[in-house]
Amino acid sequence: MTQLIQTLVLGLLLGGVYALLASGLTLIFGVMDVINVAQGALIILAAFITWALWNETGLDPLLGVFVTTPLMFLVGILIYLTTIRWIQGKPPSTSVILTFGLALIIEGVMGIVWTATLHRATPDYFDQSFTIGDIYLRKGQVYGCAIAVGVLAVLYVILRVTWLGRAIRAVSANASSARLVGVSPSTVAALTFAIGVATTGAGGSIAAVLYPFLPGSHYAWISRLLGIIVLGGMGSLPGAIVGALLLGVAETMTATYISPQWATMVPWAVIMVVLLLRPQGLMGQKLREDVAL
Amino acid sequence: MRRIVWLLALLPVLLALMLAAGCGGDDDDDEGGGGSDTAATEDGGDASGEPIRIGASLPLTGDFAEPGEAARRGYEVWMEMVNESGGLLGRPVEMVIKDDQSDQNLVVTDYNALIDQDQVDLLLGTFSSLLNIPASAVAERAQMVYVEPAGGSPDMFNRGFEYLFFAQQATAPHQADLFSEWVLSLPEGEKPATAAYIAADDPFGAPVAEGIQEQLEAGGVETVYSEIYPPETVNFDAIASAIAGQKPDVIAQGSAGLQDGVNLITALSAAGYSPQQMFQASTPSFADQYSDAIGIENTEGIFFAVSYHVDADTPGNPEFLEAYRAKFDEDPAEDAADAFAAAQVLQAAVEAVGSIDDQAALKDWLHENEVETILGPLSWDETGAPEQAFLLAQWQNGDEEIVLPEDVATSDTIVNPKPPWSGG
Repeated sequence: MTQLIQTLVLGLLLGGVYALLASGLTLIFGVMDVINVAQGALIILAAFITWALWNETGLDPLLGVFVTTPLMFLVGILIYLTTIRWIQGKPPSTSVILTFGLALIIEGVMGIVWTATLHRATPDYFDQSFTIGDIYLRKGQVYGCAIAVGVLAVLYVILRVTWLGRAIRAVSANASSARLVGVSPSTVAALTFAIGVATTGAGGSIAAVLYPFLPGSHYAWISRLLGIIVLGGMGSLPGAIVGALLLGVAETMTATYISPQWATMVPWAVIMVVLLLRPQGLMGQKLREDVAL
Repeated sequence: MRRIVWLLALLPVLLALMLAAGCGGDDDDDEGGGGSDTAATEDGGDASGEPIRIGASLPLTGDFAEPGEAARRGYEVWMEMVNESGGLLGRPVEMVIKDDQSDQNLVVTDYNALIDQDQVDLLLGTFSSLLNIPASAVAERAQMVYVEPAGGSPDMFNRGFEYLFFAQQATAPHQADLFSEWVLSLPEGEKPATAAYIAADDPFGAPVAEGIQEQLEAGGVETVYSEIYPPETVNFDAIASAIAGQKPDVIAQGSAGLQDGVNLITALSAAGYSPQQMFQASTPSFADQYSDAIGIENTEGIFFAVSYHVDADTPGNPEFLEAYRAKFDEDPAEDAADAFAAAQVLQAAVEAVGSIDDQAALKDWLHENEVETILGPLSWDETGAPEQAFLLAQWQNGDEEIVLPEDVATSDTIVNPKPPWSGG
């Protein structure tokens, strides 16, 4: 029984971290129809920046969030202005190829700056745990989940309460009508993309503590994140959270009760089953996506 | 919309393929890249006459570029040392080294060309089981002695080859022989009762773990966990939690990689479980990258196996070190030392037989004799698999030390039991 609860807890914590990493990806797709394959590389970039700050100044990676988030926001604006802007309105497949190229460039730059060797931030808590009875909770993952809740709450508030949020939702629902009422889709798109990229600041800082990384690590992350947002429903923020938690639990349950050999296959199996049975994902809205196209 | 979704379904597959192709090493740019690189003797020393030409193809570019370059350095240092001390059979040695780009097809082409076009007198092997398996088949067909410096997969030695010799101490299933022996020799009370085994699903990792499991089970250590994981596994929390639940005295991991070994340690530490003895096949030999990633305090007491150590007191090692440091201004990597040892094996056979004309005589001599190398003495069974044991190393006070066998040990203590993890 303890083993079952422990496995469940490990899965939920892992899912929380996944949710944090997937939130920006789903936001960008939901509003802009851009599949940002470079999101994984941006997470690793944020992880490297976190590592460099920690290594040079001793800044705790959790506090590093306050540096990396605005920095990644600026990186997002820069990427939007130099590349994404030109393919707005083009089919999403174009964005896949474009952002894949971006991911390769970012990987190459990271390789030049930090070399292709393993890095990791190791503050005191990196391999420590909280314990409740017989159950342990990895500190890094608990902090990651807390940050995920914070980031998702901020995103929710931005989308629901602010003028920008209403504009984003308006553009997402119908870009041409939004333009008629004075919303500039291109400004909204730029800000949405930058916000989506800014979430990698938080994700990368916690990833830097949890798992060692090198420039090529982003392939493993992006494939998992795509699995999550396909499961949850492309473009749906609540869907990404549910998808992340489900995938985290499914992975740890498989590793514990079936075999670790099958655990890395779970995301692929999930994608196949979802596509066959419910192509719009758990919480995806078919109508809105059709409109967005 | 459906089209996007299907596109998305294909994308992860594409990424997975890229990942699979991308892992395995840096593309260390190197001069050459494709052509052959002939390095003749500089002054020939006392050697005179027609040079003896020795051919090899190495992965100087591609996935194995890093170890391939190290192996080339090992061969070159050997060639220069031989030439400076009078050559082989009184003749200078000339190495003909091709670049197989880490490609199984190209390595076959290269060895065929070395034999038929370049008509080299002798062959030396390439790097990795992956490349040595096809390359050794070419040599076997031509009935030429093939001493290979790196490639310990059991698949190398189950083909009935007679001309193949592996110039390290043991094959993968025997990677941890000294560790198993030492564990089983512990006095009652200290001797472990249970063990957990976890291995990466690759031609090296799985046989290592299976080898230890077989040996410890035969010695009465009960197996409480034994699993295989895909090499790309990142999250080891579930594995660590399941292992911790079994409370094994020994944990042994079979893996050739770095990330999976590091992730297992961190996950075990987070789970708060530290075994009495911890063995990892080769992850701990990644030096600083390993200690930085798991935390230097956490390295204490972890065992691993190596073929070579710079401080090892083996015959010829001081001379090798001196020549290598003089030429490259750094300590040799394990792969460079292994290549040097492979060349030493070939040299010993040639000098003992006294001729390079009869390859069958060379292989017969090697099957019957033991050769002194910088890795220690080596001898082979009828399949060409070596019959010795790897050195047993252990992290002690933030450094890698050889602890067994005693005659080459760099530390006279063995940390036992392993202290708890720093975060545990």
